[in-house]
Amino acid sequence: MNLFLELLGAGWTGLLDYLAAHVLLCLVPAFFIAGYLSGLMPKEVVTRFLGPKTPKYISYPASAIGGFVLAVCSCTILPLFAGIWKRGAGLGPAITFLFVGPAVNILAISYTGSVIGMDIAAARIVLAIAFGILIGMIMAALFKQPDVDPAKAAMFDQSATMRPALWGLFGLLVAVLIAGTLQIAPLKNTVIALTLPFELSAGVENALADLDLTLQGVLLIAMLVLIAPVAWKGFNDVLTGFNRWTWLALGMAAFTLLLAAPTTETGSIVVNLTGRFFAEVALLAGLAYVAAHHLERDELAHWLWETWRFVKQIFPLLIMGVFVAGMFREVTPEEWVEQLAGRNTIWANLIGVIFGVFMYFPTLVEVPMAAAFLDLGMHRGPLLAYLLADPELSLQSILVTGKIMGRTKTAAYVSLVAVFSTLAGYLFGLALAMF
Amino acid sequence: MLTIKVLGSGCPNCQKVEANAREALAMFRPPGGYEIEHVKDPLGISEYVLKTPGLVINEKVVSEGRIPDSSEIMTWLADTLLDTE
Repeated sequence: MNLFLELLGAGWTGLLDYLAAHVLLCLVPAFFIAGYLSGLMPKEVVTRFLGPKTPKYISYPASAIGGFVLAVCSCTILPLFAGIWKRGAGLGPAITFLFVGPAVNILAISYTGSVIGMDIAAARIVLAIAFGILIGMIMAALFKQPDVDPAKAAMFDQSATMRPALWGLFGLLVAVLIAGTLQIAPLKNTVIALTLPFELSAGVENALADLDLTLQGVLLIAMLVLIAPVAWKGFNDVLTGFNRWTWLALGMAAFTLLLAAPTTETGSIVVNLTGRFFAEVALLAGLAYVAAHHLERDELAHWLWETWRFVKQIFPLLIMGVFVAGMFREVTPEEWVEQLAGRNTIWANLIGVIFGVFMYFPTLVEVPMAAAFLDLGMHRGPLLAYLLADPELSLQSILVTGKIMGRTKTAAYVSLVAVFSTLAGYLFGLALAMF
Repeated sequence: MLTIKVLGSGCPNCQKVEANAREALAMFRPPGGYEIEHVKDPLGISEYVLKTPGLVINEKVVSEGRIPDSSEIMTWLADTLLDTE
């Protein structure tokens, strides 16, 4: 019984750590960006560089960018992969796309950055792109290219123009994400320190301290609980029309960001309105203006629907995953992790990769798991190897790609990914030791 | 006779397109009858479109990467019938 309570406590602490203000400042904008990429960004922006006639020095980097822009949803990855391989730029760029997509997903990268650290997030992007291109080129050299009938490649010739307003919206969204997560002076500094016009009673103060919560933390959790039903009523049928709940849910999401931006301390009634807070106010006002005046109703609806779909699909599993990661951290002896992966060796990196293959976590849950490993003493090198391999290689994805590419190519691809993820972690670990 | 293909990997958006297409067909009731098929195989999907969900009527791609509503699909059904006559 005692152990059970302890486990629950550990899960709760985990939840608090991951639903803290700085995480929401990153996750909320990241979900809206993911919705934008999937609902508003025309695929032709990238696909016109992935046709059979495009020179290889353009189609490889374009595939890597395509992985970022087009592969936000795992369900679009495989048809696109098949299309690029059979009708477009060929096996090499298709493999690059397949590799980069899950690794540099906007949600995963920003979440990694805010929970584990910008060094790992940046390494995840750079190494995924570099090794994605390398693995693609090796695969293209190993296997014969299919002959592409130019008549059937017409789908790559279409181009689309994006209105300036849509680019502006994208820029503002990215700015909201950056203003919320960057740890630099003007954003962190307090501009105005407000003292709330009431005192916390001793009872409330003790209760908060017991739960390790600030007043801000309580309000944020309350907002999340309140948003859930409102968003359900407002966004679930947003494609057929807007209702009052839609606007209310949007207002509440913006308010949550503004609530998360100032800093407070446990038991204190002083609210520090930071530069970050004022930056968020300005950017959100800009977003509201562009969305209201330059976006068609239909575009707005598709954007909100895609965003909501991601939240619905990912968030509940993430909360459970965070809870489980907290409990896992509690029951796993540090000696085990330290012994297996405490130092940056090839062997330790390989263990990170193998663990990534056999453990299948839902999108984003690999991040709190990685943070738990880090706490338990895993070296950052093997940690990166694990983070690269986990979304890339699960038994399920190996089976599915096997059906499309056949066994030989899949075996070659899986081995290459395993080797290069191990190498990536090892090199990153070495680089950390040098600087 | 109309042949409708919904292209999608079984994700919620693709289910929505199939539901909208069935709704459009139920309202429009094409005189020559119809067949509807949900193509889930990635290689089969990439015969027609790059971005799911996709909708194909009589081998012609009418929508890709978005969710058309049922009234939109009805006009495509009508257009296709007019073209074939």
